[in-house]
Amino acid sequence: MKIDHSQPLEYGTEQNKMNILGFWIFLGAEIMLFGTLFASYFTLENRIGSGPSGADIFEITPIIIETFLLLTSSFTIGLAIHAMRLGRQKAMLTFFGITLVLGLAFLSVEIYEFFHYVHVGAGLQTSAFSAILLTTLGTHGAHVTFGLLWGLGIILQIKKRGLTVETTNKSFIFSLYWHFLDVVWIFIFSFIYLKGLM
Amino acid sequence: MEFFERFAIPHPSPAIYASMVAIGLTVIAIIAGLTYFKKWGYIWREWLTTVDHKRIGIMYLISALLMLFRGGVDAIMMRSQLAVPGNTLLDAQHYNEIFTTHGIVMILFMAMPFIIALMNFVVPLQIGARDVAFPRLNALSFWLFFFAAMLFNISFVVGGSPDAGWTSYFPLAGNEHSPHVGTNYYMIAIQIAGLGTLMTGINFIVTILKMRAPGMTLMKMPMFTWSALITNVIIVFAFPVLTIALAMGTMDRLFGTHFFSIDNGGMDMLWANLFWVWGHPEVYILILPAFGIYSEVISTFARRNLYGYKSMVASMVIISLFSFLVWVHHFFTMGQGAFVNSIFSVTTMAIAVPTGIKIFNWLFTLWKGKIVMTTPMLYSMLFIPIFTIGGVTGVMLGMSAADYQYHNTMFLVAHFHLVIIPGVVFAMLAGLTYWWPKMFGFMLNERIGKWAAWLIAVGTCVAFFPMFISGLDGQARRMYTYSEATGFGFWNMLSFIGAGILAIGFVLIVYNIYYSTRYATRDIGADPWDARTLEWATHSPVPEYNFAITPEVNSSEALWDEKKKGHKLFKGSYQEIHMPSKSGVPFIMSAIFFVFGFAMIFSLWILAIVSLLGIFACLIHRSFEQDHGYHISVKEIEETEAKMGGAKG
Amino acid sequence: MKELFPRKQVMGFIFSLVLTVAALLVYFLDLSFALGMTVLLVTAFLQAGLQLVVFMHAGESEDKATIYTNVYYGLIIALVTIFGTLLAMIWGMV
Repeated sequence: MKIDHSQPLEYGTEQNKMNILGFWIFLGAEIMLFGTLFASYFTLENRIGSGPSGADIFEITPIIIETFLLLTSSFTIGLAIHAMRLGRQKAMLTFFGITLVLGLAFLSVEIYEFFHYVHVGAGLQTSAFSAILLTTLGTHGAHVTFGLLWGLGIILQIKKRGLTVETTNKSFIFSLYWHFLDVVWIFIFSFIYLKGLM
Repeated sequence: MEFFERFAIPHPSPAIYASMVAIGLTVIAIIAGLTYFKKWGYIWREWLTTVDHKRIGIMYLISALLMLFRGGVDAIMMRSQLAVPGNTLLDAQHYNEIFTTHGIVMILFMAMPFIIALMNFVVPLQIGARDVAFPRLNALSFWLFFFAAMLFNISFVVGGSPDAGWTSYFPLAGNEHSPHVGTNYYMIAIQIAGLGTLMTGINFIVTILKMRAPGMTLMKMPMFTWSALITNVIIVFAFPVLTIALAMGTMDRLFGTHFFSIDNGGMDMLWANLFWVWGHPEVYILILPAFGIYSEVISTFARRNLYGYKSMVASMVIISLFSFLVWVHHFFTMGQGAFVNSIFSVTTMAIAVPTGIKIFNWLFTLWKGKIVMTTPMLYSMLFIPIFTIGGVTGVMLGMSAADYQYHNTMFLVAHFHLVIIPGVVFAMLAGLTYWWPKMFGFMLNERIGKWAAWLIAVGTCVAFFPMFISGLDGQARRMYTYSEATGFGFWNMLSFIGAGILAIGFVLIVYNIYYSTRYATRDIGADPWDARTLEWATHSPVPEYNFAITPEVNSSEALWDEKKKGHKLFKGSYQEIHMPSKSGVPFIMSAIFFVFGFAMIFSLWILAIVSLLGIFACLIHRSFEQDHGYHISVKEIEETEAKMGGAKG
Repeated sequence: MKELFPRKQVMGFIFSLVLTVAALLVYFLDLSFALGMTVLLVTAFLQAGLQLVVFMHAGESEDKATIYTNVYYGLIIALVTIFGTLLAMIWGMV
């Protein structure tokens, strides 16, 4: 395997470069996936049947907590990649670990939020609005959950194998995924919650 | 016993029982045959675990041909039912199931794999690459598609087929009006196949952008590769829409949500909207690779370089954007006002412009060319006039005011068959005939091939032109019968005869494959058509590493340059070649997806969860696996090249 | 310790916090719908661009052009889908 040392290790081989580009293109598809969810959400937003509306059920406190948790985790995964490029494996793993803990905290608040919605009468089967709300949030939440498992797998691999051409490549791709989830959350935060509460 | 009742067919008939027996016997015959000839190991090693793009392409091809016959039988049954007024061959329910599965099978399980088959086989060769960017992912794409197709097809004998049309509009497709599991099959099987297609899209974009031979800039790519690139871009951005729409439809049916219901705020029209946001780009996903094939074939057999290369590329790029701007024309009559309809009428007519540019480019390529009328060329020549008729009637349908007259009549059915059959099917058959020698090392018989081409072309015209007339006369699509007083009888009888001619044409193609396999000479060299692009610069059939030496390219017709202008394609000496290793995981994972899909369709939750865990286990296995592929040594390359009849270059 | 916290990323983080607080003003102040939506659109897209450039290193590799084309293409098609859907399903219904 030819390794190009003029670039960060994650770009070290042709296959690595293709993996990264391929993942970017996957993110393009993800933009469309969430775009479709938003299109459906805006269409069904006011179709609440006999259930509650967004303004009735959204609570600002958990939303703010979730937003700051996810923003900070996006920052720490950026720091992890920076430390990785300096070759500081221990610092990298620390930042990576913090990211996953923040992600887990986010997920816990989101699960609380779901219980709250069901509790106040906005379950999956209540109305078109409640269904698309829970589906959009749920799709993002499922992405975060998958990210937690994936990230854990990468941490184990780095512990076992160190920072190699493969593990750095995986970590970098994971960071792209995690930042992207943050971007999606920003749009959920702005155009589902804040718009609904406005 | 109650547990098993859900698997029963809700509306059985002798035909369905007969197919159950036939499916059972076929499975037994395949298993017995493989065991008797001791081929299990061979199948597993050489095919089920392969990651070679050429073999995956061939497997796509075989699946597509099988599905072509499944969809074709559906078509024959429909035309037979409608051949005479008041026919009782099929009842309404069976007719519904058959037109539904005909549409889905033909579009998603025949046309899609057919274009992906040709892309798989041809694109890496045309750009001088060893394989695709992600060979393992490519295998996963294929197996997901394959198992999804199988899952969809068992609906016929287990639980009942979908019956709400290939568009599956709600509220008809909801639980209230479609209570049996047929529509669940639709939602889940297409979802799984769509996952595979999305992966193909990503894979080929990266392959084309990152793995081209030295010297091949974007504007020096062969036209088929260009069309594949644009197609895959559309795939990547269109398929997520389908994913979401199907997920919402599945939730409505399985979890009682109200996305598309008519109560509790649901909006049935949103399904139609999302379906066509995907559905219209899908049309261009099918037609662009076909255009690419015609460009290759016409330029090869007119013995001229393609006229207007840059405008060809530009028109495809414009089509890729416009294809996302026209979807509302599929439901002009749904109640959005004149303003919205006008916008989408204009975009619809605008998209005819880049398409027209392409037609003129082909005509100018033919102009003063030394035309050689081979079978692929014959298909291309038959394509231009028939497709133009189909296309022009499409512009008629695109005028929203006039569409109120044509909507949901046989006129529409005639239109889309007359674009899809000459546009896609002719192209696939042309491509099949054209690249067959590269795939298998011998050519298909030209005489039988031309007979088949003429029969298929004549059959298409006879089958679908009458529908323009009966449609304008008011015959609605998807009606299982009509009375004699309507006067549709004559036109439908004509269509039935046309369908028969088409069927004979397709049978001739199968016969041609059999005949040529048996009798055709194997001594055809690497370039039997005197073609122009890179795939013809290596041996036929192609060795597993494609090119012994990576070619160097200086134009879009590298091989032609070598033949006529003294350009040297292969420089330097053999070097060790790195190859990806085989893997059984894509097959196993897709098989688990099949189980997962089946469990979802029948709401078997424990099985669904267990199989989902199985899927995750496969993902984890892949993540932790360390696989660096293997190398083919210089000695092995020398031996292979010598065996294949002398070194290339 | 200091080299683990590059200035660019720390500034990026602070800026994203500022943008979030700015977006929250929509909730805490009594703005008109049009003004509120403008604020949200501006902050959300700035925030997305920030993530893309500062944290995701979109412009660092040889595939910069492809990556940006891909993101813009996705964004344009997504916006067309969202507004086209609203046009056909809500605004244009008579």
